[in-house]
Amino acid sequence: MSKSLLGKFLFVLMLAFVLLIAACSDGSDDDSSSDEEGNEESSENEGEDEEEEEASGEGDQLYSIEDFSPTTANSGEPIEGGELTYGLVTDTAFEGTLNWAFYSGTYDAEILNWFDESLLGYSNEYRINDEGAATYEVDEENSSITFTIKDGVKWHDGEPVTAEDWAFAYETILHPDYDGVRGTSAGFTRLLGYEEYVSGEADEIEGIEIVDDQTITFHYDRLTPSLLTGGIWGYPLAKHIFEDIPVAEMSSSPEVREEPIGFGPFKVESVTPGESVTLSKFEDYWRGEPNLDKVTIKTINPSTAANAVETGEVDLVDSFPADQYADNADLEGVDWLGMIDQAYTYIGFKLGDWDAEAGKVNYKPEEMKMGDVDLRRAMWYAVDNSEVGEQFYDGLRWNGTTLIPPSHPEYHDDSIETPTFDPDKANQILDDAGYEDVDGDGFREDPDGEELVINFATMSGGDVAQPLANYYMQSWERVGLNVELVDGRLLEFNSFYDRVGQRGEDDPEIDIYQGAWSVGYDVDPTGLYGKEALFNFPRYESEKNDELLAEGVSEEAFDTEYRKEVYSEWQEFMVEEIPVFPTLYRSIVVPANERVVNWDITVEGTNTRYSEVGVTE
Amino acid sequence: MWKFIVRRLLITTPQIVLLSAIVFILAQLMPGDALTGLIDPTVKQERLEELRVQLGLDNPWYIQYRDWVAGIVQGDFGRSFIYKMDVTELIGQRIVNTIWLSVVSVFFIYAIGLPLGIISGRYNDRLIDQLITGYTYIGFATPIFIFGLIAVWIFGFVLGWFPTGGSVAPGLDPGTLEYYLSKIHHVLLPALSIALIGTVGTVQYLRSEIVDTKQRDFIITARAKGASESRVYNRHIFRNSILPIAAFFGYEIVNLINGTVLIEQIFSYPGMGNLFLESIVRRDTTVAITLVLISGIGAILGALLSDIILSMVDPRIRIK
Amino acid sequence: MGVSIVSREQTQTEIEKNNEQENKDVDSQKSSSGLVIFWKELLNDKLALVSLIFFTLVTLFVFGVSLILDQDQVVRVDLFAIYEPPSSEFWLGTDYGGRDVFGQLIIGTRNSLSIGFLVTLISGVIGVVFGVVSGYFGGHVDNFLMRIVDFFMVLPFFMLVIVFVSVAPDYNVWTFSLIMAAFLWMGIARLIRSKALQEKELDYAQASRTLGSSHFSIIFKQVLPNITSLVVVTMTLNLAANIGIESGLSFLGFGFPEDTPSLGTLLSYTTNPTTLEERWWIWLPAAILILLLMLAVRNVGEALKRAADARQRRA
Repeated sequence: MSKSLLGKFLFVLMLAFVLLIAACSDGSDDDSSSDEEGNEESSENEGEDEEEEEASGEGDQLYSIEDFSPTTANSGEPIEGGELTYGLVTDTAFEGTLNWAFYSGTYDAEILNWFDESLLGYSNEYRINDEGAATYEVDEENSSITFTIKDGVKWHDGEPVTAEDWAFAYETILHPDYDGVRGTSAGFTRLLGYEEYVSGEADEIEGIEIVDDQTITFHYDRLTPSLLTGGIWGYPLAKHIFEDIPVAEMSSSPEVREEPIGFGPFKVESVTPGESVTLSKFEDYWRGEPNLDKVTIKTINPSTAANAVETGEVDLVDSFPADQYADNADLEGVDWLGMIDQAYTYIGFKLGDWDAEAGKVNYKPEEMKMGDVDLRRAMWYAVDNSEVGEQFYDGLRWNGTTLIPPSHPEYHDDSIETPTFDPDKANQILDDAGYEDVDGDGFREDPDGEELVINFATMSGGDVAQPLANYYMQSWERVGLNVELVDGRLLEFNSFYDRVGQRGEDDPEIDIYQGAWSVGYDVDPTGLYGKEALFNFPRYESEKNDELLAEGVSEEAFDTEYRKEVYSEWQEFMVEEIPVFPTLYRSIVVPANERVVNWDITVEGTNTRYSEVGVTE
Repeated sequence: MWKFIVRRLLITTPQIVLLSAIVFILAQLMPGDALTGLIDPTVKQERLEELRVQLGLDNPWYIQYRDWVAGIVQGDFGRSFIYKMDVTELIGQRIVNTIWLSVVSVFFIYAIGLPLGIISGRYNDRLIDQLITGYTYIGFATPIFIFGLIAVWIFGFVLGWFPTGGSVAPGLDPGTLEYYLSKIHHVLLPALSIALIGTVGTVQYLRSEIVDTKQRDFIITARAKGASESRVYNRHIFRNSILPIAAFFGYEIVNLINGTVLIEQIFSYPGMGNLFLESIVRRDTTVAITLVLISGIGAILGALLSDIILSMVDPRIRIK
Repeated sequence: MGVSIVSREQTQTEIEKNNEQENKDVDSQKSSSGLVIFWKELLNDKLALVSLIFFTLVTLFVFGVSLILDQDQVVRVDLFAIYEPPSSEFWLGTDYGGRDVFGQLIIGTRNSLSIGFLVTLISGVIGVVFGVVSGYFGGHVDNFLMRIVDFFMVLPFFMLVIVFVSVAPDYNVWTFSLIMAAFLWMGIARLIRSKALQEKELDYAQASRTLGSSHFSIIFKQVLPNITSLVVVTMTLNLAANIGIESGLSFLGFGFPEDTPSLGTLLSYTTNPTTLEERWWIWLPAAILILLLMLAVRNVGEALKRAADARQRRA
């Protein structure tokens, strides 16, 4: 079987072919990159000189979320009988639990939005308004809220949506056999008779009063501002359909998975499990007939999302990987929409652990490595988050300041001064606090002269996770702090949360960690920073913190101005205490095909975008 | 023969039990559980703890294992934590796609491999053989995922000939001609990717078989008797060389079912492999375990099939 | 990956087949200078020789350079050098963390090769021991050991490795190789067993036994040396397959973290479509290197196999 010369030649030929394929596809890149090489020498002394950002290559065009509009630019008239394809950007299947009471995945929620909706409309301030299918009236004296469902609100099968359906949703979610994750927001727990119903002592929930078919009153033990900002469950459950199904079987029933029902602008025609859903116009939709005739929802792989929009395979997508934006900013025929995301990334400091018996945090800064607030502050000064946002995310993520992100402009206080990149200051703080390099190894020891190694936990996943972690560690090294990765590597998602303490078993090896939180409609941070919150991973508590958090959901806080003051003070207090510090605020950027009109990704837009969206060709 | 099959099947029972126990324990050892993915400030942790109790995730592994085995005996493989549906139903939806992908791939593997192998063997060391051998050389050295990625790029995006994800176009009614055409359209590119790389072994094997057989005495005798060249090839050489290939048919299928993991991931093809990776990452343990078990059973049956074929085509191997 | 497994399976069946043929004309005279014949065959086969030299050079180069190359320096993030194309400073450009691709390629190749060697070696040792013991003693021992082999044969290898890797997230090169090897030794065990079965029937082994040698010494002094060539051939061919499997796992994200890059890690960057399309310097060198390494190993393996065959014929 000896190979002749020809065989070898062929092999080389094929190899050349492989190379050729590659070379063809990068042709466009060659021109753009040639002019950067001159700057190369200067890019070695990283980070020291902020002026250097000009030096880097093709990624150096910066974007700002301010320049994006959350609505489509096309102002044409939608055509009759239009059809649209909506992409769910994911490399896994969607779960297919197509009911608001039972879903848990975001992709299911994206599908649900097309055919079912909340009776409550929301404003861009995340507060209930009267734009939804029900109007509301608050009775402060009796601590109750009354909702009236508008006329002509019908399920897809023609039955009217009633107060009974709404109450049925509450009864189902609070039922002991219910297997979903809802039922813990203020709208449930503050209802009169909540405890009795949940424990099985009562068959009905005392606080729900069905006045007539279209009117329902919820009675609470007291009112809190959270009720009006997402605390109230607004999704009815079609009683005439689900009545006879045992609660435990509802989530796997065909009424949820195969032929789901709602009262939104579109009806579900067919579900290909995990892959796609087709919907058709619901002519009796209460806001009036939708613009589109047919909608197809299907999953597309994140690595191909941009191309799918460019080629028109999909018209809209639910989300888009932020770090791929710059590469695709100039796609032809694509309109980019954007707005500030309700989320922030942060660095957290472990200041205690979880006391499972007491069900609260065990704050013990004196025993913890990170217990010294000066050390924490110095670490904040040592990192350049603006640079991180610009270099890794092309400006689409930017320096975070407080723990209420600017997606909530009412409550985000941008006047608060927070530490920004200043290594000299960081060094100074550390020197003053007694962190000095005693043994001359280049790293500081703690004030007692003991070696200080800070263990950093961060999650893998996401394109830049590793370089980002490395960047932070390098920054801290520059001010003489020895920070090492826990286990010497990024932690996989599940073990990260286990070890940070999602089950209350905090790993003592972790001193600091990087995490991210998305923020709900309501800004109340008690679920993340309250002393009884398991998700309070820093395990921080203080009297003032407790006070402010309680004040923020008090009855006085029904007054928005007062609530703003409380939360301003809280944000400022967190900047002083630094149990965590925010690193980056984020933005949402999604591509839309240019033929799409009336697509609005804001909160207010949620009310109407599905019925009004159309295509112009 | 039947005795042999029954005996083989009996031996496999403890194997499957052992496999299930190992996988079950491993699954328990993984950090996190199916509810970790639900971490969200708007979902209270008390609710998650309640759910853990409700789902039995809090029990020690042997209790969970006992419950699980008890369920299987009654034909209940448990429920997916993520999909909130029966595992059998969920896997049922996906396994069809994987089997379909495997069948088409196997078809292409032989449809490409047999002619190439025969030509290459018959005309060995001529130009055509050099070409084919060159191809097998490249094919052998190319990792399948690189090949898949390039294929999806060129034929999916640049040329747009094939869809880049899913198993069927949305909204088609099962049973219609369009539906089946769409299924074929979706499976073609992943299957060809598997086949073009996977057939390399078959081609090489067949080629060397034929080259060997050519020089055997009985072929020389046949030629000497004046049999035409094509008759020699069709009647004698091919038949003799194809037998071992047929015998490895069962193994081939098993390897494919395992090996579709990578291809399904690249082509976003909703099959078992894709589901497996997802269930591992999201700690949907009931699904992951069942998938491993199914693959194990598939492997056993495949091996059995191969042995049976082997015994039929080659009487020298007696089955006790 | 399935395909790597497939081709691996094929390779082994091929060997088994050849093995069978050999046995037909085996006679009792064995030449003991197997390695010399290997060497001669290699010298005769130019392609294999070139492959061997290439492989050796690459191996020496990456292991040598990575001794002086500071791994921390290679994975050091540079915000101002993200996605630089190749230049005199960065020979193969930089990746999305501004890290030098050339350095990663060196270290990645070293890691991939290390894993390939380790897996091959560990699985080879387990397989040989299993095979020799099973084949030499035969009977109940054989039966029992073969049941174990059967059990491992039906395990869905790829899935189980992924499960293992998820259970022990802090694995390193050694543990990772162990996990892989734990599922890859059966082929070689079966092969060696069938060979050992024949060997022990041969006169020399029978003779030793009558002379009162211990089992241990018969296995080590008589049986093992005579199957060395088979072991070498199989392990060489396995090496190529193992490198491929490792890169597949890394590609799926169940391999090594980016701080311990392997060739698969560099290839996994292609999940970013723009990288696949426009930043060839990140993944193409790794792809070509895998291709060349696998070809080289394969060429050497094939030549060795021919040498083994030839030796049998001559004998």
